[in-house]
This record gives sequence, structure tokens and C-alpha cells, in this order.
Amino acid sequence: MRYVASRLGYGLLLLLGVSILSFLLADLSPGDATAEMRLNPRISPGAVAALRVRYGLDRPLPVRYVRWLRSVASGELGWSVAFDAPVGPLLWRRAGNTLVLAVTAMILAWIVAVPAGVWAAARQGSWGDRLGLAASAVLLAVSELVLALLGLALAASTGLLPAGGMASLDYDALGGWGRARDLAAHLALPAVVLALSAFPVVHRHVRAAVAEALESPFVQAARGNGIPRRRLLWRHALPAAAKPLVSLLGLSIAGLLSGSVLVEVILSWPGLGPLLLQAILARDLHVVVGAILLSSVFLVLGNLVADLLLYWVDPRVRGT
Amino acid sequence: MPENRQPAEAVNPLEVRDLSVCYRGVHGEWAPVVEEIGFAIGPGEALGLLGESGCGKTTTALAIPGLLPANGRVVRGSVRLDGRELVGLSERQLEGVRGAGIGLVAQEPALALNPVIRVGEQVAEVVRVHRRLPWRRCREEAARALAEMGFADPGRIFASYPHQLSGGERQRVTIARALVCQPPVVIADEPTASLDTAVSVEILALLRDLVERHRLALLLISHDPRVLAAIAGRVVVMRAGRIVEQGPREEVFRQPRHPYTESLLRRLTPPTPTDGADPGSGEPLLLDVRGLRKTYTLRRPFGAKRAVDALAGVDLAVGASARLALVGRSGSGKSTLVRCLALLEEPDGGEIRLGGQDLVALPRRQRAAVRPGLQLVFQDPAAALNPRFSALDAVEEPMRLQKMEDRRQRALELMEQVGLPPALASRPVPRLSGGQKRRLLLARALATRPRVLFLDEPFTGLDLPLQTQIAALLLDLQASYRFALVLVSHDLDLAGSLAGEVAVLDGGRIVERAAPADLLRRPRHPASRELVDAARTLQGKMDGVVE
Amino acid sequence: MIRGVITRGVITSRRVSLALAAGFLALLYLGALGAGFLAPYGFDEQDREHTYAPPVRLRFRDGGGRLHLRPFLYIGVEKPGAPGVYEEDRARAFPVRFLVPAPPGRTGARVRLFGVEEPARIFLLGTDRFGRDQLSRLLYGARISLFSGLLAAGLAVALGLLAGAVAGFRGGWLDQVLMRTSELFLALPWLYLLLAVRAVLPLDLAPSGSFLLLVAVLGAVGWARPARLVRGAVLSARGRDYVLAAQGFGGSDGYVLRRHVLPQAVGVALTQLALLVPQYVLAEVAMSFLGLGVAEPVPSWGTMLAELERYDVLISYQWMLWPAVLLTGVVLSYHTLAEHIRERLQAGEV
Repeated sequence: MRYVASRLGYGLLLLLGVSILSFLLADLSPGDATAEMRLNPRISPGAVAALRVRYGLDRPLPVRYVRWLRSVASGELGWSVAFDAPVGPLLWRRAGNTLVLAVTAMILAWIVAVPAGVWAAARQGSWGDRLGLAASAVLLAVSELVLALLGLALAASTGLLPAGGMASLDYDALGGWGRARDLAAHLALPAVVLALSAFPVVHRHVRAAVAEALESPFVQAARGNGIPRRRLLWRHALPAAAKPLVSLLGLSIAGLLSGSVLVEVILSWPGLGPLLLQAILARDLHVVVGAILLSSVFLVLGNLVADLLLYWVDPRVRGT
Repeated sequence: MPENRQPAEAVNPLEVRDLSVCYRGVHGEWAPVVEEIGFAIGPGEALGLLGESGCGKTTTALAIPGLLPANGRVVRGSVRLDGRELVGLSERQLEGVRGAGIGLVAQEPALALNPVIRVGEQVAEVVRVHRRLPWRRCREEAARALAEMGFADPGRIFASYPHQLSGGERQRVTIARALVCQPPVVIADEPTASLDTAVSVEILALLRDLVERHRLALLLISHDPRVLAAIAGRVVVMRAGRIVEQGPREEVFRQPRHPYTESLLRRLTPPTPTDGADPGSGEPLLLDVRGLRKTYTLRRPFGAKRAVDALAGVDLAVGASARLALVGRSGSGKSTLVRCLALLEEPDGGEIRLGGQDLVALPRRQRAAVRPGLQLVFQDPAAALNPRFSALDAVEEPMRLQKMEDRRQRALELMEQVGLPPALASRPVPRLSGGQKRRLLLARALATRPRVLFLDEPFTGLDLPLQTQIAALLLDLQASYRFALVLVSHDLDLAGSLAGEVAVLDGGRIVERAAPADLLRRPRHPASRELVDAARTLQGKMDGVVE
Repeated sequence: MIRGVITRGVITSRRVSLALAAGFLALLYLGALGAGFLAPYGFDEQDREHTYAPPVRLRFRDGGGRLHLRPFLYIGVEKPGAPGVYEEDRARAFPVRFLVPAPPGRTGARVRLFGVEEPARIFLLGTDRFGRDQLSRLLYGARISLFSGLLAAGLAVALGLLAGAVAGFRGGWLDQVLMRTSELFLALPWLYLLLAVRAVLPLDLAPSGSFLLLVAVLGAVGWARPARLVRGAVLSARGRDYVLAAQGFGGSDGYVLRRHVLPQAVGVALTQLALLVPQYVLAEVAMSFLGLGVAEPVPSWGTMLAELERYDVLISYQWMLWPAVLLTGVVLSYHTLAEHIRERLQAGEV
């Protein structure tokens, strides 16, 4: 349990660091949302100053940081100047959508990539393996951006799937089952695109890790005592290879979040990505900081889940 | 499987006839590795297979149960298990043979067990795949097999993961796994190579016991005649893929017919005992160490610091032409001591006097000037040589740093003196053999003409004949270069045969210092006694046969 | 480590793949450098008569069936009432000319590699929404997309090499500070981090300004991973017995660093460079796509792809996909290159 506690503590420290870093970044920026108002002749300087006082922009930096931290604690995460609303509620819904997309994509990618990788490791050098490697090399080189654009065109021209958004216009009128189907239909395209971009990394790692485990002396020793091939693969090699794969699971969340920004923008999935983009263009810095912080919360949580999994999978982690 | 065993008494459990194995090289050519070997093992018999590394003994062990790697092939001959031909069986048929007909005891117990599966399960699994019993029965069988291995608490062992067990315990588990289905034949390839002497003796005794109790046919493979002497009834000697001699152990060991066997058996000849340095004999004192201490601080993340005294006040005097061996268990501080003496680590207290001058008190710059005179030959030659260097680069480096003249010429001379032909000069370090790297290290250490040469475990990883050669080389070099030789070893036997004097380290202190013969005869300190006992148990068996 | 696994075994015939990858990249970079001469038109030359014109058909056989050695083309005319559908006007053939002088006042070199006589235009890869030549924009866009990736990756690796070498060799508090900071940088999804840094910088900039800004931002964001890897290489080399031995022979810190430690670290840095360049090319494309990189009319592959966000464009005018094809080729080539460097290093070491 000490292991888990130390991982948790480390994650919290990291979040604190990220919050300071992103807040500093936002604060060092040359202009805030009131900068443009000041140039606007129809708004009096007094009104701008009043606004600055209202948003607390006139206070010294540490004070603003503490104020902001306090509002983080209350779930507000600062004030959005563009929406004139607390940032928190804006973010929660968007973050939920991003999470739905990223988790679905991750599950999709892993469900396909793990068996494919194990299969390839067992048949290294065969035609099937080479084909798989070549395919994943190409897939690895295609950016999510291009994949999303192609997916969009495909969906639009065939009409099989809705080409964007998260819900149909008549969503509110649908029953529970209908809503679920509508959501699944809208989720399918972005999730598949994102999963495709995550697939080659997972496939290659599983293949390499299992191949290495197959070469290891303990698998050879088990083979020497008559353990059949299939059992060697799934019972001996895969669990022994789990350690790097579980770390990859944690790391791949970062990749999925980055990729999801582009996918969300192109396929108009109402997640954090489009909101972040909008906030940047509007210089709505508290929203930007909030989104960054949330993304790193996801990342830290993902790594924590990976650590817990590792604790569960690998007795060596538990043992010491 | 048991039902495959034929009752006929006349048939040996394992018969290998005319077996030849080839490996395919990178360019597709087939090279013979094992050629026309043959032997038979009867029930309750232990056959020893002796040979240097690379002689084909491991290939033989792999070829018998059909475990050759993809680039290996049995090209001729037959392997019969209880009369049943194994060569040419399909992989599936062989899976049925392995574990049920032939048990395999692994070389490296630390690596032979899956780290993420409880060891009991790994033993039970073998029963499961061969007998198809319900898991509960398999576990019972596994527990029974483990109980037979002489564990005090087999229940704890069963539920442990490999990393929770000691090396000896792990090796017992792999033996249990090899025996759980009661195969008539067991192959053990260097089962004690990675274990220390005391545990090796226990494991060998266990194997002998099991051979007798279960009437096993055991093929025991080792490069060390002492290991075979412990249990093998008959011995086969292999060289370069062929059998050069085989016969009853006593005969082979006492009167080897083949000169190669003789070279394998020849022990290091101790140098004439009188020329070893005796601190009282009036020889000038070169190195005088007093109260040397070194403390390491271990820091764990989120844990408290822990101080470990690696050296707790060492006093040591070394004469100008001494040949001193420092022996002790691992962790006794001997490596730290030589690293401090070679000025590669900073001691925390005490004095190191070289010709009367205290080196510890010297300022950094002046100490650096003394350093080339105190050379350490590192334990692991692969780590001590930059893989990007050529052999010549490596020997030249110290001379370049010391701005010496005629570097190239001298480097080639040094290489020649340690037995490296000039043809090797431009070869990259990674492409040298283990023995060649060790010679290169010696040449490099001698380049600055040191007054003291420290050697950290200079014989580890070398075969017996190579050990003899290196030892002889050391004596030659000492005669021509005149340095004091300080040698670190965990093997009292080996160290004693080379050194004129032995100092025993324990707990960061020197607890005893004596001539090798005296120490072996009459160890005074408990730590010395432990070392002597360990050396004797194996040596005793050897001596009993050889002398 | 993770990255190394990704690129393992990309293509089987190693030599061929290396030659292909290096050749492809060399061609593109040369093309980008020589855009002024190679591109028949400036990146901002519009032809409102020919919006979304398909790639021109080069002909060798005229209406009379006669074969010409010099290829020629016809002017395409948009069909009335059917936007985006072009018909050839066979009244007059325009032969392709080489080394043609460009009209004054246009972007690019004074002499171009090839061209046709006005009023005809040679659109080898079609045109975009303003009737701009796609080939020319691709070449000019490669300047931004390819070189920002190269420069930014170079900057990131240089920073990483410096930070990693200092952290590994000096140790102590400096090491702690550098490594903790790098963990912070790695704790964020890179695109979010990139966007965050971009967010606080001015939005409206001249093209050269935003290009440099992008390079600086990418380089500043990406130093963490190379720094950690270089530090690892430095530490592992430092702990080796051969370094200890060299110090024992009187080797100074500088000597040890130069002769024993840095050669290891440089290998690591080189591999990182080959992996970071494509990632940063993609990053530039993504930023420009999102409207946070260089702005119109200066082309980047990202701004060119941004037009495809309207899916009817992609469905009707497939030639607009060229930037995506080249982009994929670039990334694939760099991955192949990285794989080769990594293998070379391993072979040299073990």
C-alpha cells in the first residue's frame, strides 16, 4: 500500500507543479481579455479598470494564484471572461465528452492490438507478421488529422455514419435506447479514428514485449518441461511482458488526449479540444489554464490506474 | 508419460548414439557443433559431462529433448528414451516427452522461473499439462514434489513468487518441477554455476539423493570437475564437439588418458612459498594502510537513510614484491578496499601510506599524480573497456594521458607480453573473447608501470585452463615488471594457489592473515573457517578421487 | 526505449528502405529550398477563373493525331452553371516551356523551371478555392512545414543535450531541479502544452514572426524527453569502470566527457532528433491547421489541409489531399531513418 500512497503523492505534487506552471504561463502573457476593450473607444477606461478589479486582475501574482487555487477547490476554476461564467461547469461537460471518446478509443485499440501483437510475436518473420508490421508502420505515419479528414469524407459521402457532432437534432425527443444508439452512432467515427492512431504503438509494443518474453530463460525452461506453445504464449509470456505494457497504457493516455484535440475539432465532437481552441482565440486564459489542468489530471489519473494495475499484475512490485 | 516406459530391464533409460548437431551461421552455412557422440545412462546412474564452454555440452543437453534453437538441427544419430526414438518426433510429441519423460533442471535458477507466477503453480502446471488431472490434484502433486526437496516449510515455498526465494531455494524448485511427473531421465546443465559454494554442495547432495531414491538416470553437465566428482559415477569429457574420453569417474580423474582431460584436471600450481612476502622478513614495506574506513549511505525513496560500513578500520601492510590475496564472502568489503587503495574511491578515514607518504591527506591534484602507480584490474572486462575503442586504443589511453613517448610501440609490446598478437591491435573491443579482454585489461594496467597491481576477481567467468594460463601470466609479469600484487577473490582455493599470503576480510575488517597452507590447515577466525569449509567440501571430494 | 520499439522492423529490406527514405526526404527538402525556381507560380497568385481546377492533362498527341515531343495543354474553361466542372478549350494548344522568365512583381525567382504562355496556366496538381496552384503552394508550404520541424527538433535536442549533459555530469541540486522540471513538461499531453504556450503569445503576427515563434515554442516544449535520455546515457557512461579507469590514469573531467561520455550521448540525441523532426512537422501542421501557426496567404501544409475541413471539398476535389500524402511520406521516411540510426548505434555498442 505504501507503493500506492507514494504514487498518489507523486501525482498530486505533479499536479501542483502543473498548476503553477500553467498559471505562470497564463500570467506572463502580454495581454488579457481586457486588453482589447481598452483599445475600444466605446468602452471608458473607468469601466475597463472596474472590470479588472472585478476579475481581480489588479492584484499581485501570488494573491491571484491563491485566489485561483481557492476557486479550483470550490470547483469553479476561475472566471471565464468570454462566457462570463465560472470555468468549472463549462469544463466538466466538455471533459466528460473527451473522456468518453478517449476511453472508448483506448479500449478499441487495445482489444484489437493485444491479440494482434501476441499473434505476431508468436509468428515473427512470417508473412502475416511482416504485413502487420508494414501496416502499422504506415498507420503510425498517418497523422490523426489526416485520418480524421479521411473519416469525415468517408462518412459524408457514404452517409452511413453521422459526420460530426455528438447528438442528432432530435436527440431530446428520443427514448433511452434511442439516445444510446444515437450517441453510439456519433461516437463511432471519432473513436475509430482515434483508435486507429493509437493502434500501431500498442501493436508494436505488445509484439516486442511478448517476443522478448518468449526468448527469456524462464519461458525456455517451461518449454523444457513440456508446457505447450499456446500456454507458453498466454500464460507465461504475456503476463511476464505486462510490466512495460501497463506503463504504456498510462503513457498512451497522453497521446490519446493530444490526438483527440484534432479529432474533436475536425469531427465537431464537443470535448475539451474545441473549447480550448476557442478560448485561445478569445484570450480566455482561465479556461485555457483549466483545460490544461484537467488534461494533466486525466494523465495523472491514467498513470495512477496503470500503477495500480501494475501492482496487481506484477508480484515484484508488491513484494519489495 | 509413465505408460510409455517399457518394463524391459535391459534397455537403458537414455541412450545417445552417434549424435551430430549442426548450426546454421549468418551466411547460411552449416557448421557442426556436436559430432558423433554417444553414451548411455542406466537407472540410478549419474553421468557427468565435462568440458569447457563452447565444447558442445549445452547443445547436447538441448538436442536430447529436441529443444535446439531454430538454426540448429540434428543431422545424424539417435536419442532413445526407454527405447523410444526421439529424433524426428513432432513438436507436439516432444512436448509430451519433455517434463514427463525427461526432466530439465535449468542452469540459472534466478531466470528459470516465471517471475509473475507463484512457484507452486509453476510446478503444478507441469502435472496439469502431462496428466490432465484436476487442478486440485495437480497442486497436491506439486506440494508433494516440493516437500521432497528438503524445504523446512514447503507450504511457504509453494505460495511464493520467485523473487521471494533465495538462489538455492529457487534451484530446488526447478528440480521439483523437473521431477514432479517422475520422469526416468533428468538433465541438469550447470545446476550450480550461479550458486555459492556452500549452496552448491547442498544442491549436489540433493541431486545424488534423488538419483538413488527414484532410480533416475541423471545427465549432469559442468565445466568444473569438482562438481562432477561430487556425484557422477561415470564421466564423459567433451572437446570441440567430440567425446575425447569416457569411463568410470575414478579412472578418468585419476589416470586421464587424454592430455586434454589432464589439462582440465590440473590445478593451479602454487608458486614456491618462500618468495611470498612476509611482513617480518625484512622486505621493504611499500603500502601501509591504517584504520581505513568507508561508509556508504543507502537512501530509499520515502525511506530513512541507512549507513553501511563497508570498511570498518582496515590495517594492512604490503611489501614491494608481495603476492597478497584478499578473500572473504561477498559483501565483506574486499572490492571497496581495493577501489579505495587504487584511489578510485575516497575513503572516509584512515591512512594509505605509499612509501611513507599518506595519500589520503594529499590534495586532489597531487593524488592524481600518484594514481597511475596504483592500478586496478577490474572484475568485469566488458564494463572496464570502452566498447568504442580498439584494443590498441585501450592500451594506449593511459600512456596518452600520461604524455608518455613511443606509445604505439610500447602498447604493441605490452600486448605481446600479455599474449595478444599484433593482429588484434585494430580489433574493436567488443569483438575480443573474454580471455582476450582480460589480457587487454592487464596490458592497460601495466602501461603506466604501476608499483602495485590490484586484481578484482581476475578469474571469474574463465574456464579452468584459462585460469591457469592467466595465473602463470601474472607470475611472469610480476617477475619482469616488479610490482606488488594484491588479488581479491571469494574462492580461497584459487587465491591460495597463486598468493604467498592470504588476508581474510569480514565485516569490513581484516580478521586473519596467514600463509595459504596454514590457513587451510588451521583457520583461526570463524569467517576464515567458513571459507575453508566451503573450499574443502568440494575440494575434498576432488582430492579423494585425484590423490 | 518506448520510441525505439515503435520503429522496429518498419520495412524488411533495410538498404532499399533507407535509400528510399533518404532520397524522398532529400528531394522534398531540395524542392522546398528551390521553391522559387521550381514552382511555376507564386504561392499567392490567384486565378479566380480557375477555382478548384483539376490537375491539368499534359498531352503529346494533338487533335489531328500527330505526336509531339514537347508536351502541351489546353486551357480549361469552367462549364456555365456547373461550378468546378472544367472543359478543355481545344482551339489553341499551349506547349510547355522550360526556363521561362516570370512576369515582374511576382513572388519567386525571375526564371522558372517550367511554365506555359499566358493566358494558359499549368496546374500540375490542380488549384484551390482561390485558383492558386497547388504544386507551387506545396513547395512553398514545405519550407514552413519541413523546416520548422527540423529547426524546432534541432533546438529541442540541443537544449535537451545541454540540460541532460549538465544534469548527468554535475548531479546534485541542479540535476534535481532539471529533472523535476522535465517531469512537469512530460506530465502534460504535448498538444495541450503546445496550445497552452501558444495561448499566451500574440495571435496576429507576420508570417516570419509566427514561423520563428512556432519553432521557439516547439523547441522549448520538447526538450524534456531528450534531456532525460541524454542524462541517462551520461550517467550510465559515467558509472562505467572504463571511465573510472580513465580517471585513474589521470584523465580530466573534460577528457572523460569528450572521449567516453559524449559519444554515447550523441548517439541518443541523434535518434531523438530523427524521431522528433516528424513529430514537430506534424505539430506545425496541426497548429497551422487550427489557425495558430502561419496565416494566409503564406502556405503551410497545415493551412492547406484546413480547407478540407469542409468535407464536400475533399469529396469533390481529391487533389487537395496532396499535403496529407506528402506528410505521411515524410513521417514514414523519418521513422525509417530513426530506425537505422538506432540499429547502427546498437550494432556499434554491443
